[in-house]
Amino acid sequence: MKNTYLQLAQMVSGALVAVLLGIHIAVQQSSVILGFFGVRVADPLAFSSMIERARQGTWVGIYISLLSLGLFHGLNGLRNILLELNFSAATMRVLTALIIVFGIIFLALGTYAPLVLLGR
Amino acid sequence: MSSDSEKIVIFKIQRFDPEKDARPHFQEFRVPVKRGTTVLEGLLYIKENLDSSLAFRTSCRMGVCGSCGMLVNYSPHLACHTQVEEFHAKKLLIKPLPNFGIIKDLVPALEPLFEKHKSIKPFIMRQDEAEMETPTAEFIQGIEDLDRYLQFSYCIKCGLCLAACPTSASDKSFLGPQALGQAYRYCADSRDGGQQQRLDIVEREHGVWHCHFAAACSEACPKGVDPAFAIQLLRQRVAARALGAGKPHNPAPLAATPLQVKPRVAVPEFTVKKP
Repeated sequence: MKNTYLQLAQMVSGALVAVLLGIHIAVQQSSVILGFFGVRVADPLAFSSMIERARQGTWVGIYISLLSLGLFHGLNGLRNILLELNFSAATMRVLTALIIVFGIIFLALGTYAPLVLLGR
Repeated sequence: MSSDSEKIVIFKIQRFDPEKDARPHFQEFRVPVKRGTTVLEGLLYIKENLDSSLAFRTSCRMGVCGSCGMLVNYSPHLACHTQVEEFHAKKLLIKPLPNFGIIKDLVPALEPLFEKHKSIKPFIMRQDEAEMETPTAEFIQGIEDLDRYLQFSYCIKCGLCLAACPTSASDKSFLGPQALGQAYRYCADSRDGGQQQRLDIVEREHGVWHCHFAAACSEACPKGVDPAFAIQLLRQRVAARALGAGKPHNPAPLAATPLQVKPRVAVPEFTVKKP
């Protein structure tokens, strides 16, 4: 059943990444989109705008979710492709462990900054 | 092309005799072709008139046995079921089915296909083993029950789907569209009680979740089985089981022994008088 749960998680994470990424891109491009309709807003790409978002729990939650789901979806997908190359069971265990370690490291690196900023 | 006119088509065929050749090579043959000539008829012409050493499989010559699968102009076809005229070309490139080893010339080694098929237990499985060993009656199966799997039962094990599958090309351990399609065929059969065992088999590594849904298998299938569809339906069953959402399946019951047998219509008297 492990493979089925992983695949279901892959599908769900893919759908959620699509939604969260859509929100992220919409926010990043919000000044351009709203500017088209004659509405002026602060540049979302400016450092001050980013810091302001980083101090709001909702945005931190969205970004950490996007990072975690994206990392899981991408790395699980990579593992699925590696499985098709028919490495030995021992090699696959090593590769799986490396993928998990890689994911944990980058999740930690990516969540450290927003959590620190949220605390300030 | 009128029905009487004949033209020459070049058959460029991959040759390989493992006892003589280091690697495959191509040989060209000029084959007279008229309207309705199949690729198989062209190959038989070559074997009978030009080169009797050409090796290929053939049997029914009517698209039901699955023997003559081969790659014609880069796509898998049954040679008996494919007319030369379909390609609108002066030259046909004919190679053995990909994703299989080569025994000789156009004869693929189909053992992987049969082994994978065997691994999914392609037979009706039930708890009542006594009835399976010594059948006493038929199982009741209505038209709706039959419709759920009939399309997938048309598989003739020709191997064209496995040859077309891009996942099978890179992952030799992948069960493949034929085995997975037949796993669904038996799971969907109302007479069968072996779904749990088959789902355990297909959800392992290199099983149902390794299909990328290219659907090249369905495009190649000469019998309209649509194995890509069967794989998606199989995935539904696997996912439903994992989530605890599947409906319980009770295999079709045995037909009751009839209490009263209708008498046969009386056999008419002979109309010819005996001498």
